[in-house]
Amino acid sequence: MLRLFCSIFLLGYCLTAHAMYGLQPKQVANNTWVLEGSTDNFSNENGGNIVNIAFIVTDVEVILIDSGPSFAYGRELATAIAKITDKPVGRILLTHHHPDHMLGSQAFPGARIAALAETAQLMQDEGDAMAENMYRMVGDRMRGTEVVMPDTLLEAGMLELDNYRLQLLQLRGHTNADLAVFDPQTGVLFAGDLVFYQRAVSTAHTPSIAAWLEDIETLAALPWKVIVPGHGPVARNDAPLQQMRDYLGWLDQLLTTAAAQGDDMNNIMRTPIPKRFADINLTEYELVRTVNHLYPAYEKAYWQQLSE
Amino acid sequence: MYTFFLVILLAASTAFAHAEDVPRHNSSMWDYYHQRLLDKQNFVFDDRVQVKTPPFAEDARQVPIEVDARSLSGTTQKIMLWAELNPIPQIMTVTPGEQLENLIAVRIRVEQATTIRAAFLQDDGLWHVGTGHIEAAGGGCTAPSVIRAEEGWEKHVGKIFGAHHLRDNSSILRMHISHPMDNGLSGNIPEYFIDQAQLRDDSGQVLADFELFASVSENPTLTLALKGKRKARLWLRDNNGNQFSARF
Repeated sequence: MLRLFCSIFLLGYCLTAHAMYGLQPKQVANNTWVLEGSTDNFSNENGGNIVNIAFIVTDVEVILIDSGPSFAYGRELATAIAKITDKPVGRILLTHHHPDHMLGSQAFPGARIAALAETAQLMQDEGDAMAENMYRMVGDRMRGTEVVMPDTLLEAGMLELDNYRLQLLQLRGHTNADLAVFDPQTGVLFAGDLVFYQRAVSTAHTPSIAAWLEDIETLAALPWKVIVPGHGPVARNDAPLQQMRDYLGWLDQLLTTAAAQGDDMNNIMRTPIPKRFADINLTEYELVRTVNHLYPAYEKAYWQQLSE
Repeated sequence: MYTFFLVILLAASTAFAHAEDVPRHNSSMWDYYHQRLLDKQNFVFDDRVQVKTPPFAEDARQVPIEVDARSLSGTTQKIMLWAELNPIPQIMTVTPGEQLENLIAVRIRVEQATTIRAAFLQDDGLWHVGTGHIEAAGGGCTAPSVIRAEEGWEKHVGKIFGAHHLRDNSSILRMHISHPMDNGLSGNIPEYFIDQAQLRDDSGQVLADFELFASVSENPTLTLALKGKRKARLWLRDNNGNQFSARF
Protein backbone atom coordinates (compact mmCIF):
# COMPACT_ATOMS: atom_id res chain seq x y z
CA MET A 1 0.00 0.00 0.00
CA LEU A 2 2.80 2.32 1.00
CA ARG A 3 4.66 1.40 -2.17
CA LEU A 4 1.59 2.17 -4.29
CA PHE A 5 1.15 5.50 -2.53
CA CYS A 6 4.81 6.37 -3.10
CA SER A 7 4.72 5.53 -6.78
CA ILE A 8 1.56 7.58 -7.29
CA PHE A 9 3.22 10.42 -5.49
CA LEU A 10 6.37 10.08 -7.59
CA LEU A 11 4.37 9.87 -10.81
CA GLY A 12 2.48 13.01 -9.83
CA TYR A 13 5.72 14.74 -9.00
CA CYS A 14 7.25 13.83 -12.37
CA LEU A 15 4.19 15.04 -14.25
CA THR A 16 4.15 18.37 -12.44
CA ALA A 17 7.90 18.68 -12.90
CA HIS A 18 7.41 18.45 -16.65
CA ALA A 19 4.76 21.14 -16.93
CA MET A 20 4.94 23.09 -13.71
CA TYR A 21 3.26 26.25 -14.91
CA GLY A 22 0.70 24.68 -17.22
CA LEU A 23 1.02 27.53 -19.70
CA GLN A 24 -1.90 27.86 -22.12
CA PRO A 25 -1.44 30.46 -24.87
CA LYS A 26 -4.74 32.10 -25.80
CA GLN A 27 -5.09 33.72 -29.21
CA VAL A 28 -6.31 37.31 -28.79
CA ALA A 29 -5.87 38.59 -32.37
CA ASN A 30 -4.34 37.56 -35.70
CA ASN A 31 -0.94 35.94 -35.02
CA THR A 32 -1.09 37.15 -31.42
CA TRP A 33 -1.18 35.02 -28.27
CA VAL A 34 -1.25 35.81 -24.57
CA LEU A 35 -0.31 33.65 -21.58
CA GLU A 36 -2.39 35.00 -18.74
CA GLY A 37 -1.00 34.64 -15.23
CA SER A 38 -2.96 34.76 -12.00
CA THR A 39 -3.77 38.02 -10.23
CA ASP A 40 -2.29 36.72 -6.96
CA ASN A 41 0.93 37.60 -5.25
CA PHE A 42 4.15 35.64 -5.80
CA SER A 43 4.03 32.25 -4.08
CA ASN A 44 5.61 28.83 -4.10
CA GLU A 45 2.39 27.48 -5.59
CA ASN A 46 2.23 29.79 -8.61
CA GLY A 47 5.99 29.87 -9.14
CA GLY A 48 5.79 33.57 -9.91
CA ASN A 49 3.30 33.14 -12.75
CA ILE A 50 1.29 36.24 -11.90
CA VAL A 51 2.09 38.02 -15.12
CA ASN A 52 0.84 38.27 -18.69
CA ILE A 53 3.34 37.33 -21.39
CA ALA A 54 2.47 37.78 -25.07
CA PHE A 55 3.92 36.87 -28.42
CA ILE A 56 3.38 37.82 -32.04
CA VAL A 57 4.17 35.43 -34.88
CA THR A 58 5.39 37.35 -37.94
CA ASP A 59 6.36 35.92 -41.34
CA VAL A 60 9.91 35.41 -40.15
CA GLU A 61 10.04 35.12 -36.39
CA VAL A 62 8.31 35.20 -33.04
CA ILE A 63 8.41 38.47 -31.10
CA LEU A 64 8.03 37.93 -27.39
CA ILE A 65 6.72 40.71 -25.18
CA ASP A 66 8.28 40.04 -21.77
CA SER A 67 9.77 36.68 -20.90
CA GLY A 68 8.28 35.63 -17.55
CA PRO A 69 9.35 35.18 -13.93
CA SER A 70 11.88 32.32 -14.13
CA PHE A 71 14.15 30.22 -16.33
CA ALA A 72 11.70 27.34 -15.87
CA TYR A 73 8.83 29.53 -17.05
CA GLY A 74 10.90 30.55 -20.08
CA ARG A 75 11.58 26.91 -20.99
CA GLU A 76 7.91 26.05 -20.71
CA LEU A 77 7.03 29.12 -22.73
CA ALA A 78 9.41 28.02 -25.48
CA THR A 79 7.66 24.63 -25.59
CA ALA A 80 4.23 26.26 -25.71
CA ILE A 81 5.31 28.53 -28.58
CA ALA A 82 6.80 25.60 -30.49
CA LYS A 83 3.37 23.92 -30.48
CA ILE A 84 1.94 26.94 -32.30
CA THR A 85 4.69 27.83 -34.75
CA ASP A 86 8.02 26.48 -35.90
CA LYS A 87 9.41 30.01 -36.34
CA PRO A 88 12.19 30.92 -33.94
CA VAL A 89 11.83 33.43 -31.12
CA GLY A 90 13.91 36.22 -32.66
CA ARG A 91 13.31 39.07 -30.25
CA ILE A 92 12.18 39.77 -26.75
CA LEU A 93 10.84 43.25 -25.98
CA LEU A 94 11.02 43.85 -22.24
CA THR A 95 8.39 46.31 -21.03
CA HIS A 96 10.22 47.11 -17.79
CA HIS A 97 12.80 45.80 -15.34
CA HIS A 98 10.56 43.99 -12.85
CA PRO A 99 11.56 40.37 -12.24
CA ASP A 100 8.28 38.71 -13.21
CA HIS A 101 8.63 40.25 -16.68
CA MET A 102 12.26 39.64 -17.52
CA LEU A 103 13.62 36.53 -15.80
CA GLY A 104 12.52 34.04 -18.47
CA SER A 105 14.93 35.36 -21.11
CA GLN A 106 17.58 32.69 -20.38
CA ALA A 107 15.42 30.13 -22.21
CA PHE A 108 15.83 32.03 -25.50
CA PRO A 109 19.58 32.15 -26.15
CA GLY A 110 19.00 32.87 -29.86
CA ALA A 111 16.81 35.93 -29.30
CA ARG A 112 17.85 39.55 -29.23
CA ILE A 113 16.75 41.09 -25.97
CA ALA A 114 15.58 44.67 -26.31
CA ALA A 115 14.57 47.26 -23.74
CA LEU A 116 14.60 51.01 -23.14
CA ALA A 117 18.04 52.32 -22.12
CA GLU A 118 16.67 53.33 -18.71
CA THR A 119 15.23 49.85 -18.24
CA ALA A 120 18.62 48.32 -19.02
CA GLN A 121 20.17 50.62 -16.43
CA LEU A 122 17.59 49.62 -13.82
CA MET A 123 18.23 45.94 -14.61
CA GLN A 124 21.93 46.58 -14.12
CA ASP A 125 21.35 48.33 -10.79
CA GLU A 126 18.53 46.29 -9.29
CA GLY A 127 18.16 43.13 -11.37
CA ASP A 128 20.20 40.78 -9.20
CA ALA A 129 18.59 41.99 -5.98
CA MET A 130 15.16 41.53 -7.55
CA ALA A 131 16.02 38.03 -8.74
CA GLU A 132 17.25 37.22 -5.22
CA ASN A 133 13.98 38.45 -3.78
CA MET A 134 12.14 36.17 -6.20
CA TYR A 135 14.05 33.16 -4.84
CA ARG A 136 12.84 34.19 -1.40
CA MET A 137 9.20 34.53 -2.44
CA VAL A 138 8.85 31.78 -5.02
CA GLY A 139 11.40 29.20 -3.95
CA ASP A 140 12.52 26.21 -5.96
CA ARG A 141 10.98 27.12 -9.30
CA MET A 142 13.51 29.95 -9.54
CA ARG A 143 16.31 27.38 -9.68
CA GLY A 144 19.07 28.38 -12.08
CA THR A 145 17.43 31.70 -12.96
CA GLU A 146 19.73 34.61 -13.69
CA VAL A 147 19.30 38.09 -15.09
CA VAL A 148 20.10 38.32 -18.82
CA MET A 149 20.91 41.88 -19.81
CA PRO A 150 19.40 43.43 -22.97
CA ASP A 151 21.66 43.55 -26.03
CA THR A 152 19.52 46.07 -27.94
CA LEU A 153 18.30 49.44 -26.75
CA LEU A 154 14.90 50.71 -27.82
CA GLU A 155 13.62 54.22 -28.39
CA ALA A 156 10.12 55.59 -28.72
CA GLY A 157 8.79 55.48 -32.30
CA MET A 158 8.04 52.96 -35.00
CA LEU A 159 10.06 49.75 -34.82
CA GLU A 160 10.39 48.61 -38.45
CA LEU A 161 10.99 44.90 -38.79
CA ASP A 162 10.90 42.67 -41.89
CA ASN A 163 7.25 42.92 -42.94
CA TYR A 164 6.15 44.01 -39.48
CA ARG A 165 5.83 47.30 -37.62
CA LEU A 166 5.36 48.00 -33.95
CA GLN A 167 4.77 51.37 -32.35
CA LEU A 168 6.89 51.79 -29.21
CA LEU A 169 5.93 54.25 -26.50
CA GLN A 170 8.35 55.32 -23.81
CA LEU A 171 6.33 56.08 -20.68
CA ARG A 172 7.17 56.24 -16.97
CA GLY A 173 4.16 55.79 -14.70
CA HIS A 174 4.94 52.36 -13.27
CA THR A 175 8.74 52.26 -12.94
CA ASN A 176 9.99 55.50 -14.53
CA ALA A 177 11.00 53.46 -17.60
CA ASP A 178 7.99 51.71 -19.11
CA LEU A 179 7.66 50.46 -22.64
CA ALA A 180 4.19 50.09 -24.15
CA VAL A 181 3.90 48.32 -27.50
CA PHE A 182 1.10 49.01 -29.96
CA ASP A 183 0.61 46.71 -32.92
CA PRO A 184 -0.99 48.72 -35.78
CA GLN A 185 -1.58 45.52 -37.79
CA THR A 186 -3.93 44.01 -35.21
CA GLY A 187 -4.82 46.90 -32.92
CA VAL A 188 -3.44 45.08 -29.88
CA LEU A 189 -2.01 47.29 -27.16
CA PHE A 190 0.57 45.57 -24.97
CA ALA A 191 0.40 47.93 -22.03
CA GLY A 192 2.92 46.25 -19.75
CA ASP A 193 2.44 47.16 -16.10
CA LEU A 194 1.11 50.60 -16.95
CA VAL A 195 -2.22 48.77 -16.88
CA PHE A 196 -3.27 46.42 -14.09
CA TYR A 197 -6.79 45.03 -14.42
CA GLN A 198 -8.68 43.33 -11.56
CA ARG A 199 -5.37 43.33 -9.70
CA ALA A 200 -4.29 46.20 -7.44
CA VAL A 201 -1.48 48.32 -8.86
CA SER A 202 2.02 47.93 -7.51
CA THR A 203 3.34 51.42 -6.88
CA ALA A 204 6.77 50.68 -5.41
CA HIS A 205 8.68 52.36 -8.25
CA THR A 206 6.24 54.90 -9.64
CA PRO A 207 7.54 58.47 -9.93
CA SER A 208 4.03 59.67 -9.01
CA ILE A 209 0.37 58.84 -9.44
CA ALA A 210 -0.02 61.98 -11.54
CA ALA A 211 2.64 60.76 -14.00
CA TRP A 212 0.92 57.38 -14.18
CA LEU A 213 -2.48 58.96 -14.90
CA GLU A 214 -0.91 60.94 -17.77
CA ASP A 215 0.36 57.68 -19.26
CA ILE A 216 -3.12 56.15 -19.05
CA GLU A 217 -4.44 59.01 -21.20
CA THR A 218 -1.59 58.51 -23.70
CA LEU A 219 -2.55 54.84 -24.00
CA ALA A 220 -6.27 55.62 -24.19
CA ALA A 221 -5.65 57.89 -27.22
CA LEU A 222 -4.19 55.01 -29.30
CA PRO A 223 -6.51 53.27 -31.81
CA TRP A 224 -6.46 50.02 -29.83
CA LYS A 225 -8.94 47.18 -30.23
CA VAL A 226 -7.52 44.84 -27.59
CA ILE A 227 -5.74 45.73 -24.36
CA VAL A 228 -3.25 43.28 -22.88
CA PRO A 229 -2.57 44.46 -19.32
CA GLY A 230 0.62 43.49 -17.51
CA HIS A 231 -1.54 41.77 -14.90
CA GLY A 232 -5.17 40.67 -15.19
CA PRO A 233 -7.52 39.63 -17.98
CA VAL A 234 -7.23 40.77 -21.61
CA ALA A 235 -9.99 43.23 -22.56
CA ARG A 236 -11.67 44.46 -25.73
CA ASN A 237 -13.21 47.51 -24.08
CA ASP A 238 -11.84 50.37 -22.00
CA ALA A 239 -12.72 48.81 -18.63
CA PRO A 240 -9.04 48.37 -17.67
CA LEU A 241 -8.30 52.03 -18.42
CA GLN A 242 -11.40 53.19 -16.53
CA GLN A 243 -10.40 51.07 -13.56
CA MET A 244 -6.87 52.50 -13.59
CA ARG A 245 -8.20 56.07 -13.64
CA ASP A 246 -10.67 55.36 -10.86
CA TYR A 247 -8.28 53.42 -8.63
CA LEU A 248 -5.26 55.70 -9.01
CA GLY A 249 -7.54 58.70 -8.50
CA TRP A 250 -8.84 57.15 -5.28
CA LEU A 251 -5.31 56.49 -3.99
CA ASP A 252 -4.25 60.06 -4.80
CA GLN A 253 -7.28 61.49 -3.01
CA LEU A 254 -6.80 59.22 0.01
CA LEU A 255 -3.17 60.23 0.51
CA THR A 256 -3.81 63.93 -0.09
CA THR A 257 -6.64 63.99 2.46
CA ALA A 258 -4.65 62.02 5.02
CA ALA A 259 -1.71 64.44 4.83
CA ALA A 260 -4.05 67.39 5.33
CA GLN A 261 -5.72 65.68 8.31
CA GLY A 262 -2.42 64.74 9.92
CA ASP A 263 -2.69 60.95 9.78
CA ASP A 264 0.34 58.75 10.09
CA MET A 265 0.80 55.68 7.89
CA ASN A 266 -0.83 52.99 10.01
CA ASN A 267 -4.27 54.57 9.95
CA ILE A 268 -4.18 55.06 6.19
CA MET A 269 -3.06 51.48 5.65
CA ARG A 270 -6.23 50.34 7.44
CA THR A 271 -8.59 52.36 5.23
CA PRO A 272 -11.53 50.20 4.11
CA ILE A 273 -11.38 49.59 0.35
CA PRO A 274 -14.40 51.15 -1.43
CA LYS A 275 -16.99 48.59 -2.57
CA ARG A 276 -16.56 49.45 -6.23
CA PHE A 277 -13.06 47.95 -6.04
CA ALA A 278 -14.26 44.69 -4.47
CA ASP A 279 -13.40 42.67 -7.59
CA ILE A 280 -9.81 43.89 -7.65
CA ASN A 281 -7.41 41.36 -6.14
CA LEU A 282 -4.86 42.30 -3.43
CA THR A 283 -6.10 45.84 -2.77
CA GLU A 284 -5.40 45.67 0.98
CA TYR A 285 -1.93 44.25 0.49
CA GLU A 286 -0.96 46.80 -2.13
CA LEU A 287 -2.41 49.67 -0.09
CA VAL A 288 0.08 48.90 2.69
CA ARG A 289 2.90 49.07 0.14
CA THR A 290 1.57 52.16 -1.58
CA VAL A 291 1.27 54.09 1.68
CA ASN A 292 4.82 53.15 2.60
CA HIS A 293 6.24 54.22 -0.74
CA LEU A 294 4.14 57.23 -1.69
CA TYR A 295 2.89 58.87 1.49
CA PRO A 296 6.17 60.66 2.32
CA ALA A 297 5.83 62.69 -0.90
CA TYR A 298 2.29 63.71 0.09
CA GLU A 299 3.47 64.70 3.55
CA LYS A 300 6.28 66.72 2.03
CA ALA A 301 3.85 68.51 -0.28
CA TYR A 302 1.62 69.49 2.65
CA TRP A 303 4.29 70.36 5.19
CA GLN A 304 6.08 73.63 5.69
CA GLN A 305 9.49 74.48 6.97
CA LEU A 306 9.26 74.90 10.74
CA SER A 307 12.95 75.26 11.58
CA GLU A 308 13.89 78.32 13.60
CA MET B 1 15.21 15.47 43.11
CA TYR B 2 11.52 14.89 42.31
CA THR B 3 10.54 17.98 44.20
CA PHE B 4 13.03 19.93 42.17
CA PHE B 5 11.45 18.72 38.93
CA LEU B 6 8.00 19.43 40.27
CA VAL B 7 8.98 22.98 41.08
CA ILE B 8 10.41 23.42 37.60
CA LEU B 9 7.29 21.89 36.06
CA LEU B 10 5.04 24.10 38.14
CA ALA B 11 7.02 27.18 37.26
CA ALA B 12 6.93 26.22 33.60
CA SER B 13 3.21 25.53 33.63
CA THR B 14 2.40 28.85 35.26
CA ALA B 15 4.60 30.59 32.74
CA PHE B 16 2.76 28.82 29.93
CA ALA B 17 -0.62 29.54 31.45
CA HIS B 18 0.35 33.17 31.58
CA ALA B 19 1.45 33.15 27.96
CA GLU B 20 -1.75 31.41 26.86
CA ASP B 21 -3.81 34.07 28.59
CA VAL B 22 -2.34 36.67 26.32
CA PRO B 23 -0.84 34.89 23.31
CA ARG B 24 -0.45 38.09 21.34
CA HIS B 25 1.79 39.45 24.10
CA ASN B 26 3.95 36.34 24.15
CA SER B 27 7.57 36.45 23.06
CA SER B 28 10.79 34.70 23.95
CA MET B 29 12.47 38.01 24.77
CA TRP B 30 9.91 39.40 27.21
CA ASP B 31 11.67 38.28 30.41
CA TYR B 32 14.95 39.70 29.19
CA TYR B 33 13.52 43.15 28.47
CA HIS B 34 11.36 43.09 31.59
CA GLN B 35 14.60 42.78 33.49
CA ARG B 36 16.81 44.99 31.34
CA LEU B 37 14.51 47.92 30.58
CA LEU B 38 11.76 47.77 33.19
CA ASP B 39 14.05 46.72 36.02
CA LYS B 40 11.71 43.79 36.86
CA GLN B 41 9.06 46.22 38.06
CA ASN B 42 5.42 45.16 38.19
CA PHE B 43 3.64 45.17 34.88
CA VAL B 44 0.43 44.20 33.17
CA PHE B 45 -0.20 43.46 29.50
CA ASP B 46 -2.87 45.97 28.62
CA ASP B 47 -4.75 46.14 25.33
CA ARG B 48 -5.49 49.80 25.95
CA VAL B 49 -1.89 50.31 24.90
CA GLN B 50 -2.39 49.86 21.17
CA VAL B 51 0.74 49.25 19.13
CA LYS B 52 -0.14 49.61 15.47
CA THR B 53 2.22 48.22 12.86
CA PRO B 54 1.76 47.27 9.22
CA PRO B 55 1.30 43.53 8.63
CA PHE B 56 4.75 43.45 7.00
CA ALA B 57 7.68 45.81 6.55
CA GLU B 58 7.57 46.99 2.96
CA ASP B 59 10.72 49.01 3.57
CA ALA B 60 12.71 47.69 6.54
CA ARG B 61 14.46 51.07 6.82
CA GLN B 62 11.19 52.96 7.30
CA VAL B 63 8.65 50.94 9.27
CA PRO B 64 5.80 53.02 10.67
CA ILE B 65 4.90 52.34 14.31
CA GLU B 66 2.01 54.07 16.02
CA VAL B 67 1.36 53.81 19.75
CA ASP B 68 -2.00 54.97 21.02
CA ALA B 69 -2.62 54.67 24.76
CA ARG B 70 -5.02 57.59 25.15
CA SER B 71 -7.61 55.37 26.82
CA LEU B 72 -5.30 54.53 29.74
CA SER B 73 -6.54 56.06 32.98
CA GLY B 74 -4.36 58.00 35.39
CA THR B 75 -1.25 59.94 34.61
CA THR B 76 1.76 58.60 32.78
CA GLN B 77 5.21 58.90 34.30
CA LYS B 78 7.36 57.19 31.69
CA ILE B 79 7.00 55.71 28.22
CA MET B 80 9.36 53.21 26.62
CA LEU B 81 9.28 51.84 23.09
CA TRP B 82 11.48 49.05 21.79
CA ALA B 83 11.83 46.45 19.04
CA GLU B 84 12.81 43.17 20.69
CA LEU B 85 14.98 41.61 18.00
CA ASN B 86 16.72 44.72 16.73
CA PRO B 87 20.49 45.10 17.24
CA ILE B 88 19.60 48.45 18.79
CA PRO B 89 16.31 47.53 20.45
CA GLN B 90 15.31 50.81 22.08
CA ILE B 91 13.38 53.33 20.01
CA MET B 92 12.60 56.06 22.50
CA THR B 93 12.03 56.82 26.14
CA VAL B 94 9.68 59.63 27.05
CA THR B 95 9.23 61.55 30.26
CA PRO B 96 5.87 63.17 29.65
CA GLY B 97 4.44 66.27 31.20
CA GLU B 98 0.72 66.53 31.91
CA GLN B 99 -0.01 68.07 28.54
CA LEU B 100 1.41 65.26 26.41
CA GLU B 101 -1.16 62.90 24.89
CA ASN B 102 -0.31 59.21 24.89
CA LEU B 103 -0.07 59.14 21.11
CA ILE B 104 3.24 58.65 19.33
CA ALA B 105 4.02 57.67 15.76
CA VAL B 106 7.56 57.08 14.58
CA ARG B 107 9.26 55.28 11.70
CA ILE B 108 11.96 52.81 12.64
CA ARG B 109 14.48 50.42 11.15
CA VAL B 110 14.02 46.70 11.68
CA GLU B 111 16.74 44.14 11.13
CA GLN B 112 14.39 41.14 11.15
CA ALA B 113 10.82 40.24 11.98
CA THR B 114 10.29 41.40 15.55
CA THR B 115 7.91 42.07 18.39
CA ILE B 116 7.42 45.77 19.12
CA ARG B 117 6.67 46.84 22.71
CA ALA B 118 5.30 50.01 24.21
CA ALA B 119 5.34 50.32 28.00
CA PHE B 120 3.58 53.09 29.94
CA LEU B 121 4.40 53.55 33.62
CA GLN B 122 1.16 54.82 35.19
CA ASP B 123 0.58 56.35 38.60
CA ASP B 124 -0.84 52.99 39.76
CA GLY B 125 2.81 51.89 39.87
CA LEU B 126 2.40 49.40 37.03
CA TRP B 127 3.97 49.29 33.60
CA HIS B 128 1.09 48.90 31.14
CA VAL B 129 2.55 47.03 28.19
CA GLY B 130 1.22 46.82 24.65
CA THR B 131 2.53 44.60 21.89
CA GLY B 132 2.79 44.72 18.12
CA HIS B 133 4.50 42.50 15.63
CA ILE B 134 6.15 43.25 12.34
CA GLU B 135 7.02 40.72 9.64
CA ALA B 136 10.15 41.62 7.72
CA ALA B 137 12.64 40.23 5.25
CA GLY B 138 14.97 42.39 7.28
CA GLY B 139 18.18 44.26 6.81
CA GLY B 140 16.84 47.70 7.69
CA CYS B 141 19.45 48.44 10.35
CA THR B 142 22.45 47.53 8.23
CA ALA B 143 21.28 48.92 4.89
CA PRO B 144 23.38 51.76 3.48
CA SER B 145 22.13 55.25 4.14
CA VAL B 146 19.89 56.73 1.47
CA ILE B 147 20.50 60.37 2.24
CA ARG B 148 24.29 60.03 2.46
CA ALA B 149 24.15 59.14 -1.24
CA GLU B 150 22.59 62.54 -1.98
CA GLU B 151 24.89 65.37 -2.93
CA GLY B 152 25.05 68.13 -0.31
CA TRP B 153 23.04 66.28 2.36
CA GLU B 154 25.10 67.97 5.08
CA LYS B 155 23.54 71.32 4.30
CA HIS B 156 20.09 70.02 5.19
CA VAL B 157 20.92 68.36 8.49
CA GLY B 158 18.56 69.53 11.18
CA LYS B 159 15.99 71.10 8.85
CA ILE B 160 12.51 70.42 10.14
CA PHE B 161 9.38 70.29 8.03
CA GLY B 162 5.99 69.59 9.48
CA ALA B 163 2.49 70.67 10.35
CA HIS B 164 0.26 71.42 13.31
CA HIS B 165 -3.20 69.83 13.19
CA LEU B 166 -6.12 70.36 15.53
CA ARG B 167 -8.08 67.14 16.00
CA ASP B 168 -10.43 65.84 18.68
CA ASN B 169 -9.39 68.69 20.95
CA SER B 170 -5.73 67.75 20.56
CA SER B 171 -2.83 69.44 18.87
CA ILE B 172 -1.22 66.90 16.57
CA LEU B 173 2.38 67.77 15.75
CA ARG B 174 3.81 66.02 12.71
CA MET B 175 7.37 66.48 11.54
CA HIS B 176 10.20 65.27 9.36
CA ILE B 177 13.73 66.01 10.54
CA SER B 178 16.61 65.83 8.05
CA HIS B 179 19.24 63.73 9.76
CA PRO B 180 21.12 60.56 8.76
CA MET B 181 20.59 58.93 12.18
CA ASP B 182 23.68 56.79 11.58
CA ASN B 183 23.55 53.80 13.90
CA GLY B 184 27.17 52.68 13.53
CA LEU B 185 26.13 49.41 11.88
CA SER B 186 26.78 50.15 8.23
CA GLY B 187 29.41 51.56 5.93
CA ASN B 188 32.07 52.13 8.59
CA ILE B 189 30.19 55.26 9.59
CA PRO B 190 30.21 55.97 13.33
CA GLU B 191 27.06 56.66 15.30
CA TYR B 192 25.64 60.05 14.47
CA PHE B 193 22.05 60.52 15.54
CA ILE B 194 19.63 62.76 17.38
CA ASP B 195 19.53 61.46 20.93
CA GLN B 196 17.63 64.18 22.76
CA ALA B 197 14.45 66.11 22.15
CA GLN B 198 12.28 68.37 24.22
CA LEU B 199 8.84 69.80 23.59
CA ARG B 200 8.38 73.19 25.21
CA ASP B 201 5.54 75.68 25.33
CA ASP B 202 5.83 79.31 24.29
CA SER B 203 7.23 80.37 27.63
CA GLY B 204 9.94 77.70 27.55
CA GLN B 205 8.20 75.37 30.02
CA VAL B 206 9.02 71.71 29.28
CA LEU B 207 6.04 69.71 28.01
CA ALA B 208 7.90 66.44 27.47
CA ASP B 209 11.41 65.02 27.36
CA PHE B 210 12.49 62.45 24.80
CA GLU B 211 15.50 60.22 24.58
CA LEU B 212 15.86 58.86 21.05
CA PHE B 213 17.86 55.86 19.86
CA ALA B 214 19.49 55.00 16.56
CA SER B 215 16.78 52.49 15.65
CA VAL B 216 14.74 55.53 14.63
CA SER B 217 14.90 55.77 10.82
CA GLU B 218 17.06 58.25 9.00
CA ASN B 219 15.23 61.50 8.39
CA PRO B 220 13.00 60.78 11.40
CA THR B 221 9.30 61.22 10.87
CA LEU B 222 7.47 61.77 14.14
CA THR B 223 3.94 62.41 15.28
CA LEU B 224 3.37 63.75 18.80
CA ALA B 225 0.24 65.13 20.41
CA LEU B 226 -0.60 67.70 23.06
CA LYS B 227 -3.86 68.22 24.91
CA GLY B 228 -6.00 71.10 23.71
CA LYS B 229 -5.15 73.83 21.28
CA ARG B 230 -1.54 74.54 22.00
CA LYS B 231 1.48 76.03 20.36
CA ALA B 232 4.81 74.35 20.93
CA ARG B 233 8.49 74.45 20.18
CA LEU B 234 10.67 71.43 19.60
CA TRP B 235 14.30 71.37 20.61
CA LEU B 236 16.65 68.65 19.37
CA ARG B 237 20.26 67.71 19.96
CA ASP B 238 22.39 65.11 18.21
CA ASN B 239 25.28 63.17 19.74
CA ASN B 240 27.75 65.54 18.07
CA GLY B 241 26.25 68.41 20.03
CA ASN B 242 24.39 70.10 17.16
CA GLN B 243 21.14 71.67 18.26
CA PHE B 244 18.08 72.23 16.12
CA SER B 245 14.67 73.67 16.83
CA ALA B 246 11.28 74.17 15.28
CA ARG B 247 8.13 76.09 16.06
CA PHE B 248 4.67 74.56 15.76
